[in-house]
This record gives sequence, C-alpha cells and structure tokens, in this order.
Amino acid sequence: MNRTTTEKVVKSLKQRHRKEKLFKAAGFASVCFGFLLVLTLISDIVIKATPAFHQHWLKLEIDYQQEWLGVDSLDYEKLESADYRKVLRRSILAMMPEVSGRQDKRSLYKLVSNNAEFTVRDALLKSPEFIGKKKNVWVMLDDDVDSYLKENTEFSQTGIRISEKQAGWIEQWYNNGLIDKQWNTEFLTSGDSREPELAGVRGALTGTMWTMLVTLILSFPLGVAAALYLEEFAPSNRFTDFIEVNINNLAAVPSIVFGLLGLAVIINLFGMPRSTPLVGGVVLTLMTLPTIIIASRASIKAVPPSIREAALGLGASKMQVAFGHVLPLAMPGIITGTIIGMAQALGETAPLLMIGMVAFIVDVPMGVTDASTVMPVQIYLWADSPERAFLAKTSAAILVLLTFLMMMNTLAATLRRKFEKRF
Amino acid sequence: MSDLSFTENLTSSDITIEGTVGKVVAEDAKMSMRNVNVFYADKQAIKNVSLDLARNQVTALIGPSGCGKSTFLRCLNRMNDTIPICRVEGELLLEEQDIYAKNLDPVLLRARVGMVFQKPNPFPKSIYDNVAYGPKIHGLATNKAELDEIVISSLQKAGLFNEVKDRLDSPGTGLSGGQQQRLCIARTIAVSPEVILMDEPASALDPIATAVIEELIDELKEKYTIAIVTHSMQQAARVSQTTAYFHMGQLVEMGKTEQIFTNPVHTLTENYITGRFG
Repeated sequence: MNRTTTEKVVKSLKQRHRKEKLFKAAGFASVCFGFLLVLTLISDIVIKATPAFHQHWLKLEIDYQQEWLGVDSLDYEKLESADYRKVLRRSILAMMPEVSGRQDKRSLYKLVSNNAEFTVRDALLKSPEFIGKKKNVWVMLDDDVDSYLKENTEFSQTGIRISEKQAGWIEQWYNNGLIDKQWNTEFLTSGDSREPELAGVRGALTGTMWTMLVTLILSFPLGVAAALYLEEFAPSNRFTDFIEVNINNLAAVPSIVFGLLGLAVIINLFGMPRSTPLVGGVVLTLMTLPTIIIASRASIKAVPPSIREAALGLGASKMQVAFGHVLPLAMPGIITGTIIGMAQALGETAPLLMIGMVAFIVDVPMGVTDASTVMPVQIYLWADSPERAFLAKTSAAILVLLTFLMMMNTLAATLRRKFEKRF
Repeated sequence: MSDLSFTENLTSSDITIEGTVGKVVAEDAKMSMRNVNVFYADKQAIKNVSLDLARNQVTALIGPSGCGKSTFLRCLNRMNDTIPICRVEGELLLEEQDIYAKNLDPVLLRARVGMVFQKPNPFPKSIYDNVAYGPKIHGLATNKAELDEIVISSLQKAGLFNEVKDRLDSPGTGLSGGQQQRLCIARTIAVSPEVILMDEPASALDPIATAVIEELIDELKEKYTIAIVTHSMQQAARVSQTTAYFHMGQLVEMGKTEQIFTNPVHTLTENYITGRFG
C-alpha cells in the first residue's frame, strides 16, 4: 500500500468511526427514551391504581333484635330471609342518636355500602347465638366515603358526593376509631358491580382465561398444521400462491371486521350463544391465525434443509420428517409467533364488542358457554363510569391485565427454552 | 493469452464428447443405469448417461463443479424427488427393479440405498438417537436390546464406537466434524442398506479426518456397494476401483481407476486428472 492510499484510508477511517459512534449514541438514546416512556406509563398506572387495593370499613354494633328481624325462632331458613336492612339502619341510628329528620337519616344510611345488610346477615348466620344480642360487625363503606377518605380532600368535590353534614359524621367515626383501612381482597374475588366498592375483576379475568383457552386450543393446532402443510406438503401452484396472499392480507384486516364476521356467521348463522368465551375465542382465533401461520412458516422455512435430507435419506416418510424433525426444530419460532398472536388477542376489545362481550355481567363464568366479559372490555367499561372510585379500579384492572400478560409470556419463554436445541 | 482463455481451450467445445469412452458395464452390477437424462425445468443437467455400479466395489464419480455428478448420484435414491422442477428419464435399476417405477415407494428405496451428505448433518439429538432413528422408523428392532445391538454394531462399523461409547447420550452435534460424518455413516449403516451413496463425504473435513473416512469406505465395500462423488482426484484414486469422469452433464469416460488415472483415453479426462483445470 503506498502512502497516499494509507492517508486516504486513515481519513475515511475517522469518518467511519464517527458514523459508528453516532449510530451507537442514537441507538442508546432511543432505547433510553423507550424505557423512560414505559417507566412513566407503568408508574402512572401504579400510582393511580394504589387506592383500589384498599377499602375502608366501618365498625358497627349491630343489635339483632328479634322484633326488628321479624323472626321469632331460630329457624335457619327464616333467618336467611329476615329483615336485616331494618336491623342495620336501627343500629346505625342507635350509634348516631343526634341525627333526625327523614332526609338526614337517608343520607346517613347512604354512607354504608349496599351490601352492608348482607354482611350483617352473614355475620348472624355464622353465629346464630347472637340473636337478640348485640355484636360488632365490620361493614363496607360506600365508594363515595371511601374515595373521600382516600383522597383526603374537601367535601362536595367533583365525582365525590359527600355533603358537609356527611363529612362531619365521617370525621366523628374516624376520630372514634370506628373506621379501618383494609386490603381490598374483594377486588380479586368478586365479579363486576354497579357499586364501585363491590366491583372486582374475577369475572373478567375468568372470562379472559376461558377466551384465551378457546383461542389457544383452536388457533395453535390449526395454525401450525396449516403452516406445516403449506411449507412441507403443498405443491407450489397458483392455488397455494392465492392462499398465501390471502393469509398475508388477513393479518392486516382491522379486528372489528372479525367481530362483524363473528356476529353474522358464528352467532346468527351457527346459533352459538352470544357474549360467551366460546364465540369470543372463535373470533379471536380468526384474528390470531394469520399471525401464527406467518410466524410458523418463517420458522419452518428456517429449519436447515440438511436435516430434512438426512431424514429423507434414511427412508423417513414426509410425515415423519415433518413431525419428527422439522416441527421440533421450528417450535421455538412457532411459540414466539403464537405468543405474539395471543398477546394481541388478549388486548383485543373491538371484535368482542360486536359479539356482545361488552354486556354488564356480574356472575363469574363457569365455562365457555357462560356469558362473560374480558379484561380489556372490563377496563373499557370502568373507564367509562362516572364514579371516582372506578378511576382507581380501571388502573388496577390494567395492572391485572399486564400481570396476566407477563405470566403468559413467562410460560411461553419457559416452553421455548425447553424446545431450543443447537443444530 | 490470459488464464481464462487457457482454461477455455482445455475444455472448449472443439473437444467433442461422442458417447462414453471405456467400459460402463460391470459383470456383477448392483445398480445399472441406462440412458439417464435429468432436467431441471428446461435445463438438461444429465445427458444420456449409462453406467453400472459393481457389487461390493467403490465407484467414484469425478468431474469439475457443475458437471452433474451430484445430480446423478441423487437420482439413485430418488432424493431429487424433493425438487419439484426436477425430471428424471431413462432406466435405473437396482437388482432388476426399476427404481422410478410408479408402484415403487421411495421410502423403501431409500432404506435400501442410503446416503451420506457433503456436510455432516447429524440430527440435533443424542448420538444414540441419531443412529437409532433409522431402525426405529423402519421397525427393524423389536425391543430395546435389539436396538442397542444395532446402534453399537453400526457405530463399531463406522469406527466411532470407541470414541463415543461413554457419551452415547450427549448430542451428536457436539462431536467434531470428522466424528459427525462418521456418525452420519453409522446412521446410514444402521438401516442396513445395500448401496451407500456418498456426496463428497470428506470435503468439509481436515486431512486426518478424511484419511479415517477413506479407510472406513475401504472397509465398508466388503458389505456394501458404494458410489462416491468427490472433488479430490487423490481420494478417488485411493478409495475407488472404478472411476467415472463427468463433464457438462455427460459421462465422458469410465473404467478401472488405475487405468483412468494412469492412462486416460479422452483428452478432457486427461486434462482434468492431470490438474490442468477443474
């Protein structure tokens, strides 16, 4: 190399190194930016969600007077249908003798949750010996009281319906140590409710599980079989080209269209029950299939042809090659594709709106043919509700959804590692 | 005169190939091919080739790159079936059996005619499973003890057993290149084929591993009929009894290996084996 060449190389080398440094810096900056965004998002959700994990309870001395209950014996069946509302209200009044007047009394009763009378009932059913006696029972406070206490703000603020009088009573209780803050386990163990303090994610979470199960059971075998057929068995002709183009197009179809298809064909034509995980799963399968097929095909294509030749050369049939060698080697990629498709399906709302999974459902679904809703739809429903307490519930539900997603991904990563082999 | 035109002269179309020079018919033929033509779509890769593979002998197929020797070899166990645009014409017989007959199952053919490939391609499984795979899919062993016996004897025949006997459960892909290729040979032997086709089996190996493989081929011919494609003329000279020289899809010359390497008849053969091109 003569001198001028060396000089030129040195000159260009400087520029090349500068470019490399610039690219590295830009890459690092973009990673940091992305990380920052995610961090902001997550911390915002966590901060907003925290209030939802606690719930305020009120200690009441309940007087189980037979007269108020309207029962005269210890008959269990009669006890169940006794008038506990009267017992509850009289007990509250007994605690606050200064409250008088119809309107004031009503606003006093409003401070405890709607289900307080059931808590009072359950406490008696559990230990019937208290009939005619007094017993301390913790009852849930109404969501407005709960929000008022959590946010520690002035009364009659937007979204929190607490009057000056009510605020005074609450303060009195609080100072007397009658109010206690506890972990809100109801959030995970109960279904949806119109009352924010009673609303939980169990129904939606179970619905999501059923829907995902149906989606996985349908889309994974179908997708893998389709990919395997197209890659390993199908003759390459116009028909398979046509199918390939269609699969690629299907992956780009807006998801709500699949919802319309589900409504028109699966519900109206085939008569499957609406609002159920079964129909939701079928619709999400249609949406997930192209993703799984495309990823699986790419992964099957990447299996070295030498492995196929080795097996064929030993006299393995096409089927034995496909299932004994190609599929196991392609499995890590297929699992990745499946998890991408499933994650997409997990967060999908639009197609499920079309098939009625947006309905208000209180019961926890016990099977794939029970009406239910799913997590993202639940989040959408709560985000739409005016009560202040639903704000925190929405964020908490998002956290639950994210946790579910992470668990699904961890499972897939473990499976993937199991299948990963050197070749 | 540049180097390029020099090569052109040596292989130019002025040197005509009129049929095959030498003896293509073997007295005791295991496989016999007559007037084989192979097409990739419209392009003809093999032009009217006839040759026999003599029983329990090593036949070497040599020739420059792209001369069609590998294509021809792959016709012998119908590996070309996997290429949709490939079409094979002519008469190819394995012990009087037409291997391209409609009613012949290529799976059965490949059990009788095994193949070892250029790049060692063990399955990503254990050494034991690699060898046991063939017998398993063909149901050659009725129980575990029989399978063990097949695996061990195959590894012994391939001269690999002593090196791997303590780690039959470790992955086959963890072996060295030469060991992997011997594992592939053991895997092929395990099915007890009648013919073994080898497509440049030592081209990816170092000289010592190559020498081991060559020695192995020499031993294997006692039991099997072997056809080997090779780029190395020394290798052809060392391991084969018969040599066939291919050029541009045609079989130029075939004969006893000593004769081909010491006294080639055709000018193209002479130019090739004297190392003037190729």
